[in-house]
Amino acid sequence: MSRLTFDCRHRFRGGFELAATFDSDANVTALFGPSGSGKTTILRSIAGVLRPHHGRIEVSGRTLVDTAAALHVAPERRSIGVVFQDQLLFPHLTVEANLLYGSLRPDRCGQAVDYQRVVAVLELGGLEARRPASLSGGERQRVALGRAMLSRPELLLLDEPLAALDAALKDRILVYLERVVAEFRIPTLFISHSQAEVRRLAERVVIVEGGRVLAQGTASETLDQPGPLARRDALRPVNLLRIDEIFDHGDGFQARVGEHQLLLPPGERPGGPPFYVQFEPAEVTLALGEPAGLSVRNRLQGTVRQVVDTPTGVFVAVDCGQILWAEITREAVRELDLRPGGPVTCLVKTHSLRLV
Amino acid sequence: MSAWIDPGTWSAVRLSLLVAASVVTVSLPVAVPLGYALARSQFRGKWLIEVAANLPLVLPPVVVGWALLVLFQPEGALGRLLLPLGIRVAFDWKGLVVAAAVMSFPLLLRAVRLGFESVDPRLEMAARTLGASRLATFLTISLPLARRGVIAGCVLAFARSLGEFGATVMLVSQRESTRTIPLLIYSLRDRVGGERQIWILVAVSVVLAGAALAGSEILERRARAGRVEES
Repeated sequence: MSRLTFDCRHRFRGGFELAATFDSDANVTALFGPSGSGKTTILRSIAGVLRPHHGRIEVSGRTLVDTAAALHVAPERRSIGVVFQDQLLFPHLTVEANLLYGSLRPDRCGQAVDYQRVVAVLELGGLEARRPASLSGGERQRVALGRAMLSRPELLLLDEPLAALDAALKDRILVYLERVVAEFRIPTLFISHSQAEVRRLAERVVIVEGGRVLAQGTASETLDQPGPLARRDALRPVNLLRIDEIFDHGDGFQARVGEHQLLLPPGERPGGPPFYVQFEPAEVTLALGEPAGLSVRNRLQGTVRQVVDTPTGVFVAVDCGQILWAEITREAVRELDLRPGGPVTCLVKTHSLRLV
Repeated sequence: MSAWIDPGTWSAVRLSLLVAASVVTVSLPVAVPLGYALARSQFRGKWLIEVAANLPLVLPPVVVGWALLVLFQPEGALGRLLLPLGIRVAFDWKGLVVAAAVMSFPLLLRAVRLGFESVDPRLEMAARTLGASRLATFLTISLPLARRGVIAGCVLAFARSLGEFGATVMLVSQRESTRTIPLLIYSLRDRVGGERQIWILVAVSVVLAGAALAGSEILERRARAGRVEES
């Protein structure tokens, strides 16, 4: 029995048609795709605020939509918490009343979540008496997340929870999301068009484009494929390495990633764990052996796992404890004779790294 | 005080206030759901309701009064139904309420409807995903957020009812027991020595209108203070 089964068709007046089928057992599933691909339509159908023309939706064994049987469960009976892109906090209620709005309703199927715990995890203490209009963007997003969690949902839907935020705030909210996912274990489906977010949060990825599901599976089954790797738009691929430890060596910060050391750019100061370093695959240089006389500070030895040829270039997956992608030219692949199993050194300039 | 203002004037003021308050009490439970339905949903015959509700605004009041009289006279379509229940509307104080309610309804409905239209429907959608039923959503989200329109509508309906004359005169006519402020002013016009009383009634009308406006302003401010900078 899947946690979530989705199989719906919906045609809009403008001509756009959604015809998507996917399922997920994962705790965190990402719907990944460009704007206008149908992600939000899927989310709205699951939440019950849009009636798909044809199809079936099941959550934890409960059928929520079955057009063949003319079944369409009302949104308030679905036990699905939604965090909307623009939060939609109730302006006439305090933060506390907003948070508790859904928690008092009967008939919710999910597990009860402790109010004080949510306030603590999302760091909402001190905001409870305020009104939404006096909150910052990040605070509003946290309140919206807390409100949805406290409504005892069986499934949490996040509609681009980070889209409206600037980069610095995005990183911070992402940390909160990670905490929530880890601590409360509420099955979550989130919409995103950032590979970094998807790679960081999702156990299962569903790639949606033009109203169709192009691929579904783990990150390596979906994102590490020629199509997604060749993206040049907002969906472009990104390297994300989890940092095990950060230490101050007097002249800046250094990060330990597995057995490797990375020198972080000056001024990059960790805000709070967990940390990742993020950099583009095109910023990675591959070398055979140990090159000398280079200004590049960061060298990671690894093994080639995969060589993926895309229309825009070749992507080489290198296993350095964690998988790292390098984008290089076809000529370079030929000249270095890169093939799976071969040893290689990845060079990344310190100034290409971004701490997130 | 009563030496200065005679009992007839007092009873007219009391009656006017009672009628205006009754109009708001009777009309609001109709205007709120109807205003919400007009603001939110598309349904067959919606235009018909809109036209009917706005008709008293464009028709001459005496025409509306005549139509009400035809309906509510003992042989009329509604009068015949009400008669066995012992309810008389035509030529009775209840007629004052009916006439004023009909005449002020378009103003009340319009303000209430605008109030609901100013509420983002997505907030209602959010409330429902949080487990609130349609009714709970309406009571906890839509109505509180539309309250400015509702308050404004009540003040307008109250003030309009205080001044109602044309339809009232047709339906209830001039009697000692059914004299509101405007009816009394009219009846005093040709009476010798009535001028002083007219001036008093005019002053009372001005004070009442001012009080209604001030009351709505206070309610509005209190509502606004409650939500600080609610966007």
